[in-house]
Formats: sequence, structure tokens, C-alpha cells
Amino acid sequence: MKKRYTYLYNGEFLPLLGLIDMLLKNHIVPQNIKPDTADFDLFDETVLLEVKNLDATMQQMIKVFGKQVFTTIYYCFLSEHEYKELLIYYFLAHYLTYGHDIYVMRNLTSVHEVLKISQYVSRENHKLKGFLRFKELENHVLYAEMAPVNNIIGLLSKHFKRRLSQEFWIIKDTKRQIISVYDKKNFYIVNADSFDLFPLNESLEERDYQKLWLRFYQTIGIKERANSRCRRNFMPKKYWQYILEVKDEL
Amino acid sequence: MELMEKLTILADSAKYDASCSSSGSTGVGKGTIGNTSFSGICHSFASDGRCISLLKILMTNCCIYDCKYCLNRRSNDVKRALFTPEEVAEITLNFYRRNYIEGLFLSSGIIKSPDYTMNLLIETLELLRHKYHFGGYIHVKAIPGASESLLKRLGGLADRMSANIELPTEGGLKLLAPNKESQNVTKIMQYVKDNRSRKYVPAGQSTQMIVGATNESDWDILNRSANMYDNYKLKRVFYSAYIPVNQDKLLPSIKVPPLKRENRLYQADWLMRYYHFNVREILNPDRPNFNLLIDPKAEWALRNLHEFPKEINTCSYRELLRIPGIGVTSAKRIMAARKKFTLQMSDLKKMGVVLKRAKYFITCDHKYFTDMMHFTSHFIEQNLILEDTVTFEEKREQLSLF
Repeated sequence: MKKRYTYLYNGEFLPLLGLIDMLLKNHIVPQNIKPDTADFDLFDETVLLEVKNLDATMQQMIKVFGKQVFTTIYYCFLSEHEYKELLIYYFLAHYLTYGHDIYVMRNLTSVHEVLKISQYVSRENHKLKGFLRFKELENHVLYAEMAPVNNIIGLLSKHFKRRLSQEFWIIKDTKRQIISVYDKKNFYIVNADSFDLFPLNESLEERDYQKLWLRFYQTIGIKERANSRCRRNFMPKKYWQYILEVKDEL
Repeated sequence: MELMEKLTILADSAKYDASCSSSGSTGVGKGTIGNTSFSGICHSFASDGRCISLLKILMTNCCIYDCKYCLNRRSNDVKRALFTPEEVAEITLNFYRRNYIEGLFLSSGIIKSPDYTMNLLIETLELLRHKYHFGGYIHVKAIPGASESLLKRLGGLADRMSANIELPTEGGLKLLAPNKESQNVTKIMQYVKDNRSRKYVPAGQSTQMIVGATNESDWDILNRSANMYDNYKLKRVFYSAYIPVNQDKLLPSIKVPPLKRENRLYQADWLMRYYHFNVREILNPDRPNFNLLIDPKAEWALRNLHEFPKEINTCSYRELLRIPGIGVTSAKRIMAARKKFTLQMSDLKKMGVVLKRAKYFITCDHKYFTDMMHFTSHFIEQNLILEDTVTFEEKREQLSLF
């Protein structure tokens, strides 16, 4: 039997695609694909390949696979799934066989998984579009913290770039220690360590609006219909830490 | 009066309006602050589990009317408050920037006259849209009895404009809301329907009915809904289980709101809008009320068991939609997948089709999930009810662990 290797990439999306592209072209079936920072078993045999012409590879892959596939696998990539790279590999391999039909071929395990994970990421992104809470700082900058399961800060930033285009805002992912900074033109995602956040003093009005919001939240619930199960279903407790109106109920 | 107190009074009065949706709009004004999301966004969930997406408030809880079921009826001795347009705009914008809300839901008691109230609403929305360039979602309640020129102006500023029918029959309305005429409400609906465009009420209109305040049957309510969907192209009819806020000999004396009944109405409402059911297939004058033990779709299927079991691989899309437990997404997935291969039960599971209810009503590749001798309405009905109760018991046990 042909020996299978674990292939390494640098943890970023495009290099991963470059790697998968190369594997597919050369008909290599990997044992696994992992970022080079991952922990390895003693017996894993790893290979780090250098992939050239990433831009050209990407353009060509978009041509071959189309935008929908690209979005699907990108969302999957943003998840924390242990085998996401391998799943993406198999997803694309299936695509080469079945074309766009794979979107209905959920009986294939890897297809099913990739679509499921991708949807999970998309849904978490959607949830946080609602659950994110900004506070206004002294200098009128809006600041929000979150700790999502998936790495959705980029997707979320795109949403707020459209929605709050005339504001300066910062979103911090405290789990991954990364921040997204928006300067009314573009947003930049950087490592939190490499960026010195000025003292985060709240503006004078901030406390008043928080109080108004809390009061509104407490008033709007109908006590004859109280249903904490239903509330938790829609707004899981893992998000409460950063949701102003419920964090004190934790 | 302080802003905090006003907000408390005017949010408390607005909370009985069930509508919270913020979806379906392409945006009226391209503002500089905010936009609308076509799928709608829920920002929070209240202690009753209902979604909060809009700042739901009344302009004022002063009212010249004396509707029996309403907290703010003229004869009630409650504290009254009135927002200024500037105050509403200020709270809306500041909540919006902090991402607390998706936009504003503005309703109102009727102060002085319908036209006077309408002008207040218009002034507020104009302030938001034109002075502050607010591009977020706005759902506004039109005031029945207001003049057409005002309807025209208000609708041009809102994503959704609607009026509540409140009670399903004319008789109920006469009894409990003697100052209201359903004609005035349907006039608004007709006007919105005739004038709706990308610039005028792009997200369409909705309405609300109170369930259980009068003695209407479920058939009365559902039939009224069906008529309104047909006649006025409503996006949604909301049902609101009656919660006693007033003492009145004309009102039923209940302690617990009829939530299960409300739930059945929503299920039936969905069947009409997304599952091609005719209202008469769900209820009819001879069988005017829901079975509270079984959901309306399963109930229909049990009554029409001769049409089942359906073979998943060959039945039509419309037939798929009528199988209990199979929703629009599942039906579409099945349609697409079965072109490629023959579906088995295990494939359905992988596709995310929930079989809990569906398995009783289908065959996959001509195989039933158990012996076909069990395919009787008695067996299925018992199991459906049992499964619901079992899940309920399990849930209760899980809860008591904490």
C-alpha cells in the first residue's frame, strides 16, 4: 500500500488551497492536512511543501470550482473542526467527480460534514450580527468584545462595515486575541498583542444608555409568558458573557 | 418626566404587540447610519423567549378610545406619557449604534384624533430619516381613521406599515372595542396593498389578532386570516394569546394565556402560507377547533391516511410538503437528491431530515420503517402523542437536574 503523509501548511486559507490543488493535481491522497503549528503524533510523517503562485492558483480554482464552492469551503475553514482541512480536500475531490451535484449529495460523509460545518459558521456569524454589543468610548469610538466558537471576525466586520460605515469601531475576539479595527474606510484584522489599545474609558453618556437598554429589556418581557428554556434555545448561554442585558444573570 | 420613566411606561404598553420581524426589506432610505438585512436579525431574546429585534415603543399611551382588553383604555387609571419625536430619535439612534437593535417599532395610543397622532408619527420618522439619515428598519403602526394623505406620507418613511385587526369578528370588535371599526383597519390594508413599492412599505404589512378574549372559534380566526392573506397580500398575521390586564365583566376570567392554542394557530398559519394548505383542509365549520394534542399537519394526515404512506423517491413536491415532519428545506433537498440516487431512510437522516414524525407516513424505496401491519391511524396517533409527551418528560427531567 502506498504510504500516506500528513501535509502541512502555514495556517492560512490560500496556502491551504494551493496545497490541496497540488495534491489533487498529483492524485495524492493525504493522511491528514494540518497547520504547521499543530501538535503531532510521534508516528506522523509530515511533509511541508512550498506552494508557488498563490494568486494564480486561486484565480484558477475560482474558475474551476465557482464562487459558491469557494464560499462553502472558506466558511468551513473558519471553523475549529479538527479535520476541516482534510474535509475540504475530500469535498473538492468529490467536486471534481460530481460537479455542482455534490450540493445535493449529502449521503457522502465529507460533503455532508463540510456543508454542515459551513452552515454552522454562517449561522454563528448571523447570530453575532445581533448579539454583539458595542460601547462608546470617550473618543466616540465604538468597542465590542466577543468570544465566538468559530473565527468569524472577518465576516462580522464586513457586516458592520456596511452598517456602521460612518463610525470608528473596534471588535475584539477575546478567545483568539485578535481585533478588527475600522477607520471609516476599511477594516484591518490584527493580533491583539501587536496593537496597543488605548485606555478603554467609556464616554459620559454610555452608562445612561446602558441603563435605558437594561430597563427596556426588563420591561419588554411578558411575565405571564415567561419561558427561560425558549430564551436559552435562541440565545445560548455561551454568548451571555458579552451581552449587556443578560450577563448579570450568569 | 424623565426619559427613563417614559421609556418604561411606553415599552410596557407596547410589549403586547407580537410583531418583531425585521426581515424582507430592501430599505426605504439609503441612510448614512444603518441598513436593513433581508433575512432580518434578532438582537436579543426577552425573558419570555420572544425575539427582540426592534425598539418596540408607543409614541404615547394616552388614548381617546376605551377598548376593554387594552391596558391604556381611557377609563383606566394608569400613568400616561408622551415621547417627543426628538426623544424617540435619540434613543433609537443610540441603541442602534451600540447594536442593541435592528430598528424601531413605533405604535401609539390615539391622542386627540387619528390625524393628530399620525402627524406625530410622521414627524418622528421624518426626523430619523431626513435629519439623522437613519437607514435601519422601521415598522410603524398606522392609525385607523387617519386620512389618506397621511397614510401616504407615513408609508413612504417606513419599511413596514401595518394596522391591527385585533379581533377576528365584527361582533367581537363591537363588544370589546366599541370605538373601533374594522372597516378603518381594512381601509389601511387596502391602501398599503395598492401602493406598495420599493419606496413605499417595501417590507409589506402585517396584522395582529388577540386569541381568547372573545368566544370566536379557531375556525373564525383562521378563516379571517386566510381572507386577509388573499385580499390584502399580508406578509404575516400575528396571533397574541389573550393576557388579562383589565377587570371587566365582558372579558373572560382566565389566569393563564392560551399559549397552546396560539401555537396551533401559528402552525396552521404556516401550513397555509408555505405548505399549500387550504384553510378548509385544516379546519371547517363542523370541526371548528384545533386538537391541542396533535399538530394540525399530523392531524390532517391522520384524517387522510388513505393517501399515505408516500414513497419518498417518487411522490411530488406538493405531496412531500404534506408529510408531517417534512419542511420546505427537507422537501427541496429530497427533490434534488433523488434525481441522483435512490433514497433510503439512512440517507434522509444524513440529509438532515427529521424522521421523528415523518417515518410513520413514508416509505423509502418501498420499505416502511417497521412492519406495515402497524400502519394504522390508531398506532400512529398514539405514538405521535407519546413521543411528544416523552420528549416533554425528558426535558422536564433535564431541567430538574439544575
